[in-house]
Amino acid sequence: MHGLFRWSSKWWPGVIPLFVLWVLAAWTSTAPLESDLATRSSAVLKDTLLDKTRITAAGRDVTFAADAFSEEGRRSAVASVEAVPGVRLVNDDTRLVPEAKPFVWSAERDVVRVTLSGSSPLPASKAKLLDAARADLGGVEVVDQMNLSRGAPARFDNAALLLIDQVNKLKDGKITISDTEVSLSGMARELGGREAITAALKNLPDGFSVAANEIKAPPYIFQAYKDPVAVTLTLTGYVPDNNVHATIVAAAGRKFFSEKVVDNLKASVGAPSGFANAVVPALGALSRLSTGTLVVSDREVKLSGDAFYDAAPAQIRAGLIKDFPQGWQLKADLSVKPAAAPVDATVCQQLLSELLAKGTIRFVSGLSTLDPDSAGLLDHLIEIALRCPTVNIEVAGHTDADGPEGFNQALSEKRAEVVTDYLVKAGLPASRFTAVGYGSTQPIASNETDEGKAHNRRIEFVVKE
Amino acid sequence: MAYLATFHWGWLLGSLLLGFAMGWIAVVHRARGVSKVTSRWLAVLVAALVALALARVIPGRPGYWLDLGLVMFALYLAGCTVGSWLRDWVLSGHAPAA
Repeated sequence: MHGLFRWSSKWWPGVIPLFVLWVLAAWTSTAPLESDLATRSSAVLKDTLLDKTRITAAGRDVTFAADAFSEEGRRSAVASVEAVPGVRLVNDDTRLVPEAKPFVWSAERDVVRVTLSGSSPLPASKAKLLDAARADLGGVEVVDQMNLSRGAPARFDNAALLLIDQVNKLKDGKITISDTEVSLSGMARELGGREAITAALKNLPDGFSVAANEIKAPPYIFQAYKDPVAVTLTLTGYVPDNNVHATIVAAAGRKFFSEKVVDNLKASVGAPSGFANAVVPALGALSRLSTGTLVVSDREVKLSGDAFYDAAPAQIRAGLIKDFPQGWQLKADLSVKPAAAPVDATVCQQLLSELLAKGTIRFVSGLSTLDPDSAGLLDHLIEIALRCPTVNIEVAGHTDADGPEGFNQALSEKRAEVVTDYLVKAGLPASRFTAVGYGSTQPIASNETDEGKAHNRRIEFVVKE
Repeated sequence: MAYLATFHWGWLLGSLLLGFAMGWIAVVHRARGVSKVTSRWLAVLVAALVALALARVIPGRPGYWLDLGLVMFALYLAGCTVGSWLRDWVLSGHAPAA
């Protein structure tokens, strides 16, 4: 033992190379040691539910910062880092994920993207919502601006997933969950979308309620285009159901006596009330135009085009406003077609006869009241009459053989007069027209059949030199 | 400590061998030893450093370097002890024979 003390007093020279060795060891090992400790600390936290985990090592001391979702989880995470072999001290910078009050989450859609923002309860929920959004909204960019927060209401995930489904039905808009209250705004992508969303909201999980549903339906559009070159009437857009569809197509067939009706209408819910009662007169107004477009958007009717003569635009406008149901609005942008070149008496007669061969001036059955469906035909006749200003025209009324002869005679005279009045109101001089009634004395078809009778009930325009 | 041993076994072995060599030499070395007073002061210094290390009051990298230095120094001392003892045993084994 004594020897050991004696020898130990001579051990000091080795301390100098030991010091050198120590400096070298410290120089070369510090960085690898730190990275090894950081790697192994991260590895033990792999299965722990944390957000924003940051681990840095200085020497053997590990600084551990993270957001935990519960106090228990936070403590156990710190303990597991402390238990990593080689770690001397843990500088604990962990905290709990902030609690959101109120807990607000929202999904906002604009033209090109969907943005999910606000709070989400757990990383798993967040991932689930993002995946659902990407799957539902194929092709639309999904932007994630969600934070993680505590304080989500029960069944939050289910509610949010249901609402992400609804975002798909929006053209643009925003859906927000604030605690358990859901509010929606924006515009549905398609007709019926608003109703579908309202129906889906009934499936929200228990405890959730709809605070505000301000989803608007897209405008209900109906369009008709009269093309004088192709001689067609093209109908596009929506109609409420098959009955209204049939009514509108039938009315178009009666009012547009020479045009072919191209029917591209689709049935859809969401029509404004009084749809058919507004569209049918509006089609009547369109039939009085040489070329024109009718656009019905919700309760606003836009009519534009060229009328046949100067007095027509005012008549059309006034007639439509009178016929429209309550709450409907008219925006008419009507001009007058430039007058066509004058023609002589022969051509005039030919044009009038051709026109009357295509369509018949109709009256209410047994009366001398003009059927509104004939307004288009009458306007065409007026246009031709205006092209031959020097000729006199006999307006001849004829009836079928049903009923007493005296009545038929009177009816044919009265109907011829009504037509003449219409021409005069359009601005033609009364002196050029003579109204004559022939009763059933000049049939052009058999009075035995309904078809023949229909041919016999007619107004003829005869040019007198 | 076990972690330090596995991570730095090369450096620690170096310290041990250095100590062993120094201990081996010290038995027959003619140089002057450290005086008793000085060695006491040195012992106090080492004890203080050990206390600092155990109390973990020096943070971060300096703390690690202190731990590393002390472990290396301890192994150096252990090497010295074994070296000196073994040299003495070898010498004393030869002495009766000589």
